[in-house]
Amino acid sequence: MTRSADAPTTRELAQRLLAHEAVDAGGAVPDTQAVCRVCDKLRRPLTTLAGAAGFRSLLARALTLAKQESPVLGAWEVKPDGSLQSLSGEAAQAGAVLIAQLIGLMITFIGESLTLRLLHDVWPDLPGSETNFGRNQSK
Amino acid sequence: MNEQSKVKINQLPTGVPGLDEILGGGLPEFSFNIIAGAPGCGKTTLAHQFIFANATVERPALYFTVLGEPALKMLRYQQQFTFFDAAKLNNAVRFVNLSQDLVERGLQGVLEEISKQVEAANPSIVVVDSFRTVLRSEMHEGTNMAVQTFVQQLALLLTSWEATTFLIGEYSESEVRDNPVFTVADGLFWLFQQVDRNSVVRKMQIMKLRGQASVPGLHTFRITEAGLQAFSRTLGLVGQRKTYSTVRRLSMGIPTLDEMMGGGVPEGDSLLIAGSSGTGKSLMATQFLAAGIRAGEPGIAAVFEERPNEYTARATEFGLDLQTPLAEGSLEVIYLRPLDLSVDEMMQEILDAVKRTGAKRLVIDSLAGFEMALAPSFRTDFRESLYRMIFALTAIGITILSTLEMPETFTELSFSSYSISFLTDDIIRMRYVEIDGELCQIMMVVKMRRTAHSREIRKYQITTDGIVIGERLKNYVDLITGIPQPVSVLRSEELLLNRKV
Repeated sequence: MTRSADAPTTRELAQRLLAHEAVDAGGAVPDTQAVCRVCDKLRRPLTTLAGAAGFRSLLARALTLAKQESPVLGAWEVKPDGSLQSLSGEAAQAGAVLIAQLIGLMITFIGESLTLRLLHDVWPDLPGSETNFGRNQSK
Repeated sequence: MNEQSKVKINQLPTGVPGLDEILGGGLPEFSFNIIAGAPGCGKTTLAHQFIFANATVERPALYFTVLGEPALKMLRYQQQFTFFDAAKLNNAVRFVNLSQDLVERGLQGVLEEISKQVEAANPSIVVVDSFRTVLRSEMHEGTNMAVQTFVQQLALLLTSWEATTFLIGEYSESEVRDNPVFTVADGLFWLFQQVDRNSVVRKMQIMKLRGQASVPGLHTFRITEAGLQAFSRTLGLVGQRKTYSTVRRLSMGIPTLDEMMGGGVPEGDSLLIAGSSGTGKSLMATQFLAAGIRAGEPGIAAVFEERPNEYTARATEFGLDLQTPLAEGSLEVIYLRPLDLSVDEMMQEILDAVKRTGAKRLVIDSLAGFEMALAPSFRTDFRESLYRMIFALTAIGITILSTLEMPETFTELSFSSYSISFLTDDIIRMRYVEIDGELCQIMMVVKMRRTAHSREIRKYQITTDGIVIGERLKNYVDLITGIPQPVSVLRSEELLLNRKV
């Protein structure tokens, strides 16, 4: 079974989110801070939907799945308050894998349509959102 | 207080088919309501239907989740319903998680957070799911006053902010007494899920509704992919039966039978055709429907023992064309055999078909099949339910013909094993008799309310042209027992007896 996180569109979306956050922070290339910022921005809507503990569980699950693909994330962890403890370095490249896993989990639970709507609420001005957000209205 | 000075309470559509009618028009605006019931009985789905039917971006719905089902899972499942509108999410319908507030700051923290969110969003609807978990966290010795104060403050806040509120909780009926929540509530919706043998029946009761008259009693409801659908006990048909200064007679499609009935069946009557298997009850019912179609009166057949195509195909064998009116929409054949049906659902089906077709005639073929299609728990109330249904349908001018299979006995003539003859205005009895070593069929008009009718017992035959009624059987006695005696034999015996004396 192909997981939603493995789909090229999910990976591409994760990379665009990271690039967007990197630019917002004045950088050119996504770094670990961009990964943390994406996670932090997703924390609010996901806490609303799943509670603080629920968000922490989702992020922890996403990190576990991401570590299987990118062992360089091995030292990363989710702190009790739901924030991400990251280490700088080449692991930043694997950040997109983590974000893709988190988005993949959202798609698994509430479907692509609702997931894209939630992401659109958080990043309404994300470049390319017209073509990618809400492109598939399936449940 | 005159009518003009009274405050007008607006009624909001619930989004649940049939429920507005049960509530007496809709849900009172700004009311503070509780949806209670055991797990899995449809409480959350009911609330979701209401919010998706009413919430707007300008006046959104705030859906507070507490320690129960998180919104993430709620969305996963609720989006499967057709009423779910993803476009409303996060603008017209907003979810807020209060778990943290409850855990860290208790009731006061929950109240403060709800106040903050309500003041910021200006919602028209507020739902707290599950409210029970909010209170349970504080339900221990010496905290009743705190709970009561919390409920009152919450009700005051939400009403002041002109919000219509639903508190959802898993309560049992024994908790209704002395519970401050129920005292404060304007409306109390109780959902039940009853298991009887292998079937499950869902029912709801409006135990309390301030400001307007709801339909009392238990109403069945069903949950489908469209959400809840409720079936009012009365389906709004509580009016008086129509009285006609001149009763119109409807042809049965069998001229001789019309004569026997004094000109046909009176419009708006309930007619029962009783007889054993193979006596032609269904055929007579089909001829009744076909006669209506020919006269420009649309009809409905509710069949339980054969499928619609079988039903119309059988009619064709007797030269009756039901396929054409079926295709044109002047005839509907309702076929329901779910085995957990309620009479109210059947009635709703019929009423919907009446609206679609403008039907004047209804055939129920047969009552035994109808009863078999009901969930076991409804079968015990079959007579009472049938009474409500027949009364309601005849009240709107529908003429009903029901067939009833009777066990054939050769010692007596019973009209109904169900003792439902009191439900009917008119009764026709068909049965087998043995005459001269041959199994023959006879019929008689046993009862015609308010009208004169033939008392004759007639022999009849089932032909390719339908039922053909013959002459009165004059030369036999004890016909209704099924084992008649020729009069000539009796006379001979009488003469013989007289000679001996």
